[in-house]
Amino acid sequence: MSTDALAAARPAQKGPAARLWASSRPFRPVLLVDIVLFVGLSVTQDGFFKWMNMQNILSSVSVLWIVAMAMTFVLISGGFDLSVGAIAGLCSVFLAKVLEGSMPGVPALILTILLGGVVGALANGIFIGVFRLSVFVVTLASMTALSGVVLVWSQTQSIYVTAPIVSQIAVNSYLGLQAPIWIMLGVFVVFLYVQNRTYFGRDLYATGGSFQAARLAGIRTTLTIVMVYAISGAAAGLAGAIGVGRVGAATPQVDGSVALQAIAAVLLGGTSLIGGSGGVGGTVFGVLFIGILQNGLNMAGVESSWQYIVTGVILLLAVLGDRLGRVEGGLGGRIKRLFRRGGGTPDATCAVDPMED
Amino acid sequence: MSAQAQPSVPLLAMTCVHKRFGGVRALRGADLEVTRPGVVHALLGQNGCGKSTLLGVLSGQLRPDEGTLAIDGRAVTFHSPVSALAHGVAMVAQETAVAPDLTVAENVLLGRLAGRRAGVNWKQTRRLAVAALEQIGADYDPDSLVRTLRPDQRQMVEIARALSTNAKILVLDEPTSSLSDDEVEGLFAAIRRVTANGVSVIFVSHRLTEVFAISDEITVMRDGLTVATGNAGDYGPSGAVAAMVGEVDLSVSREIYEESRDENAALSVRHLSSPGCLDDVSLDVGDGEVVGLAGLVGSGRSELLEAVFGVRPAQAERVAVAGAELARRSPRASIRRGLGFLPPDRKTQGLVLGMSVRHNLAMTATCGRGRLRAPRRRDEEAFCAAIAEKVNIVAPLESLAGTLSGGNQQKVAIGKWLVHAPKVLLLDEPTRGVDVAAKADIHQHLRDAAAQGMALLISSSENDELLALCDRILVMYRGRVVASLAADEATEARLASLTGGHT
Repeated sequence: MSTDALAAARPAQKGPAARLWASSRPFRPVLLVDIVLFVGLSVTQDGFFKWMNMQNILSSVSVLWIVAMAMTFVLISGGFDLSVGAIAGLCSVFLAKVLEGSMPGVPALILTILLGGVVGALANGIFIGVFRLSVFVVTLASMTALSGVVLVWSQTQSIYVTAPIVSQIAVNSYLGLQAPIWIMLGVFVVFLYVQNRTYFGRDLYATGGSFQAARLAGIRTTLTIVMVYAISGAAAGLAGAIGVGRVGAATPQVDGSVALQAIAAVLLGGTSLIGGSGGVGGTVFGVLFIGILQNGLNMAGVESSWQYIVTGVILLLAVLGDRLGRVEGGLGGRIKRLFRRGGGTPDATCAVDPMED
Repeated sequence: MSAQAQPSVPLLAMTCVHKRFGGVRALRGADLEVTRPGVVHALLGQNGCGKSTLLGVLSGQLRPDEGTLAIDGRAVTFHSPVSALAHGVAMVAQETAVAPDLTVAENVLLGRLAGRRAGVNWKQTRRLAVAALEQIGADYDPDSLVRTLRPDQRQMVEIARALSTNAKILVLDEPTSSLSDDEVEGLFAAIRRVTANGVSVIFVSHRLTEVFAISDEITVMRDGLTVATGNAGDYGPSGAVAAMVGEVDLSVSREIYEESRDENAALSVRHLSSPGCLDDVSLDVGDGEVVGLAGLVGSGRSELLEAVFGVRPAQAERVAVAGAELARRSPRASIRRGLGFLPPDRKTQGLVLGMSVRHNLAMTATCGRGRLRAPRRRDEEAFCAAIAEKVNIVAPLESLAGTLSGGNQQKVAIGKWLVHAPKVLLLDEPTRGVDVAAKADIHQHLRDAAAQGMALLISSSENDELLALCDRILVMYRGRVVASLAADEATEARLASLTGGHT
């Protein structure tokens, strides 16, 4: 590349606001959809734009939010985790049992989260990181097996929990905000910090971007992967505990859709399934999309099953838009060219990378 | 190729081609003219000069913003690679695109197997494939799986595939970049056969000796423009280089390393073996010494570096850096002991393309820090800028590594080892696929690093690179070190015969 062409391509020194805007590029589609949905519902539904309803939207997606934050890390590292629902179920039964055994609330909660982390590391992380087995097979197997463990352990009975800790983390309000919202905020801040401000965060992107290159550069890729699944398991443990609080019981039936919904939210938020890119910032908007949609459809009296159809279609459109936008000149240029050519064939055959000579 | 057969209308004429990618003007009025059938036309230029873009336009993968394309004097427009093929233009990309689990015959006729209605006519398919392979003098079994072929043979399969479409113009994008010298000879023999049949070949290569060994005509590009074109004989290597780079000093200043070996060499390897590729290798590299590894593809050059660095399982009596033995064999342990390794493939091994130049440069230097610690951006920016300046990376630190040109990418891949200079740096093909100016740049940085005491062990398939760079050259053949030549006793001819297994 010639120096003058480079000077032209080099952006001017950016301020923080411009940097933030630039980094939002992967999740702009879902951000736009969120805003449209939010404004549309505020205008059409009387009960929507109310403080209480805002809180309800947030706390209704608290389990999904926490799981999806960790799932973002898993996707950045190049994998995914189908077993989070099962780990959450396991941890909720564990929590119910130890509380039943009159363990104090806080240690019980901490142990629950640790259990999730250990299970995630042992059942998924070791097999994926050390033995390099297929992510799909390993997490499918652990999901299946752990769902069985939950059934056996709980003897297919719901275990009701009356200990105060569960309502303290799932129902009570502090300083005018419901507890799950505080936890969501805290989890988000921690994940954002780890992602952007620690070497571990960089290891994630490096490992997911190119496992080989990361390993040859001296990064502990195996440990990184084991840790990612441990984190995913720990987040599932916390989510499971909140789930217990919201229902008031640990249920024997594992919610198999949590993992897939979380993956959908992460993908909506612009993180790629290939690994090496994306971030928890986008995941926020992916999760919010699902929350707002559920709430709005409820309020409008639409059958709630529609949310799955809408989520699926939007997910597909977001990923499609991203792919088209990547071909040449961004989404805008893409659409412009489509119109100029009168809907000509997209040149997805553009195999030559323009910067490669 | 007689003079009377020369028509006035050129076989191919691309005129004033423009192409822009966002704000980058890749082509700013490039021309390419192949005068007649049966010539070899070399397309030269540094990385980023627009060669690939021009070839993308020619092969129908990219559409030009402006400019005309004429074949036999008739203007044509290509909408896709298929329409380019229909007009007789077939391209073989730099990276091989074969289906390893299909047979040779299936690959040659990929998508065009003989027989339509009653299923595939395998007999016919086999015959057509053999005929296409014969055109280039390849006698592979049409039923063997492509997986079992060597890379150069796979390339031949691709060339046969291109020819079997009745191409008039065959475009080869850097066909020799991953071939050893004798494989290049095989390729050239094939090219000569093809041109004798009246097919013209457009040939891209960074190796000038090769270019002038085979080409009849050349076109030189710089910054998206055609800066020179004509008969190869009128230019010669020096004329072509001058056109490619403008004014750049290509000489490498160096002092010949003086033999002063002490007991604790920077790198000391004793009796290293790895099943199937390395057989009892011992060597020493002294502080500040540059040692080359010459050998054909498969001679064990690359495998030796991998084994020393700890990415390939191997048994050794002793591998020591500056007298300290490497007990644990992993990249991480090796880095801690002061080893560095530049892998041969920058795109999958040397760099994380989705990360910024800064993050790539800082990666190895910070791999020992606590993982929950926060990187200090200011420090990092400072030392990365210093390295970028030192190895002359012409790109902003925050741009993604994947958006850089090949030469710049390679400089980043090397630069990340210079942040905390290791005692010993192992390099596999340090200048593969980079242009002459970047190559000279990289050579100079390597010599500079050696002058400051770093020991270098360099594996290269280009013998002239080793001759220009090394104090001593070890020749490998079938997993063994068969000769050690000091800089003043090594010559092209000597290396050529030694690497070929002669003594």
